[in-house]
Amino acid sequence: MRSSRFPAGSWPAFAAAAVLLAVAAAALLGPLLAPHTATRPVGLPYAPPGAAGLLGTDHLGRDVLSRVLLGGLPVLATSAAGALAGSALGVTAGLGAALLGARRAWAEGALLRPLDAVAALPPLVVLLLALTALPGRAGIVLAVAVAGAPLSARVIRAAAAPMVSRGHVEAAVARGESLGWLLGRELLPLVAGPVLADAGLRFVMAVYLVTAAGFLGMGTGGTDWGVLIAEALPGAGLQPAALAAPVLLVAALGVSVNVLADEMLRRGRAVLA
Amino acid sequence: MRRPAPTARQVRALANRLIVAVFLLVLLSLVVYVGVDLLPGDPVTARLGQAGPARVAEVRAGLGLDRPLATRYLDWAAGLLRGDLGTSATGRPVAEMLSARLGNSMLPAAITVVLMVPSSLALGVTAGLFRGRPADRILSTALLLVVSVPEFVLAGGLVLVFAAGLRWLPAVSLVPAGGNPLDTPAVLVLPVTALLLLALGYAGRIIRAATAAALRAPHVEFLRLNGIPPRAVLARAVLPAVLPVAFQVWLTTAVGLVGGAVLVEKVFAYPGIGEVLITAVQTGDLPVVQALAMILGAAMLVALLLADLGTRAMVPSLRTAPR
Repeated sequence: MRSSRFPAGSWPAFAAAAVLLAVAAAALLGPLLAPHTATRPVGLPYAPPGAAGLLGTDHLGRDVLSRVLLGGLPVLATSAAGALAGSALGVTAGLGAALLGARRAWAEGALLRPLDAVAALPPLVVLLLALTALPGRAGIVLAVAVAGAPLSARVIRAAAAPMVSRGHVEAAVARGESLGWLLGRELLPLVAGPVLADAGLRFVMAVYLVTAAGFLGMGTGGTDWGVLIAEALPGAGLQPAALAAPVLLVAALGVSVNVLADEMLRRGRAVLA
Repeated sequence: MRRPAPTARQVRALANRLIVAVFLLVLLSLVVYVGVDLLPGDPVTARLGQAGPARVAEVRAGLGLDRPLATRYLDWAAGLLRGDLGTSATGRPVAEMLSARLGNSMLPAAITVVLMVPSSLALGVTAGLFRGRPADRILSTALLLVVSVPEFVLAGGLVLVFAAGLRWLPAVSLVPAGGNPLDTPAVLVLPVTALLLLALGYAGRIIRAATAAALRAPHVEFLRLNGIPPRAVLARAVLPAVLPVAFQVWLTTAVGLVGGAVLVEKVFAYPGIGEVLITAVQTGDLPVVQALAMILGAAMLVALLLADLGTRAMVPSLRTAPR
């Protein structure tokens, strides 16, 4: 899909891994490190970074650093859950379409057409629709899974289609192995690289949708980075640090996972080729 | 160059594409209406659950939710075919709620598309021509950065730099009630910039990849080795291969922009459909969101159909050769 941009094992991949680790550590350890609670005012509103805390205070005088440290875990956890669900759905449909579609064309259509129909909707519209019917975290995870699965299914089907005619797969079909065995034990290991790279891209989309939900005020409730961005915007002129911190964290998360997925896709293809 | 008359085969191919598009639209309507209805819980209970079962039943009856699902779906779908988008939970017709704001939302999206077409082509082709060299590294990295970051985060960054930092442009799009954003063009600059960066990220990356692939083609190498000037190679061999791909990504990005506009509008408090939608989601006003999903889904399917037709028109082998 993409052409190679960096030499193998190159510094962008290492830098991305380091950034991802740092952001993940901030999110996972943040609740332990936060000096204050997310809700208690600790100073005057819009106090600049310095005496009132490393990142100053927000429009209600709450400590921005604590809110940033506490806001990462909900974003990461919800994104991971949604990306995992979407990836699982897409991989199952993609592998199934490759295996069954090799013999019966209609089976491939039956598996992929409904996903194609959903793919016509921009992911954000899927999110809005899911949150209208099912408010809260369940709706976000559902939206991430449904919006991501069609793309996953296409990528995985394309990667698995040439594998279906391999000897060991045909032997397993002839032995009468179950569908679960064929998909999970025969085909899945052959496309592990594309699956991982694709899961990375699903995670980027998940972070996007989770923070967008928080930003629109329909999030998981409480504090997350999307909520922080929405709250900091009106006072951006007075307290830019309160906006800059969550903006930079969300950007770093998206960019680092994207670079890693890019790298993995390239290596996965090199192994298969 | 004489354009051959459309053959029966081409007409049949076009008819096939149309049938598939209609079929996908019907599937989408099933997902959007029946699929959403089958989700556990429903918008009324989720928001009025504390008010007691009697009140919930009353509201459900008021919204017509006590009728069987199949009847409701057929009524809704028949309405869509007549151009009736249904009635919001607030009692207003959905078409009226959306049309009042749709024009405001289309304006930045349209400006973005007009700017995106030449700039993404220039960026993508330049990066592709210099593939692997520093100019490409810088452009590709910039495009990857932009495409990895949610558009509202991008817009937030723009606010930080150009509104809070440099104070060149307004952070909030104050449009007088009933006024037109064109009366105060300054409010459009940052929203359009955010949307344009997003669109460039998508389109630029794909056009770059298409250019790089076209340059590796044997006939391009043949022309180059024969000393044909680079400009002529670009115009005669590379661009004809890149344009069909670019056309497709421009069309799909244009439809996707309307979705992204919801977020960018909120960043700048721009008065578009975003505000209507956010209220609808928060109050569980399904008909409004379902109508918008169908409009955007239909627009995307039309865009894909047009992209397909455009590709057929632009690629001679598809236009003439038997397939």
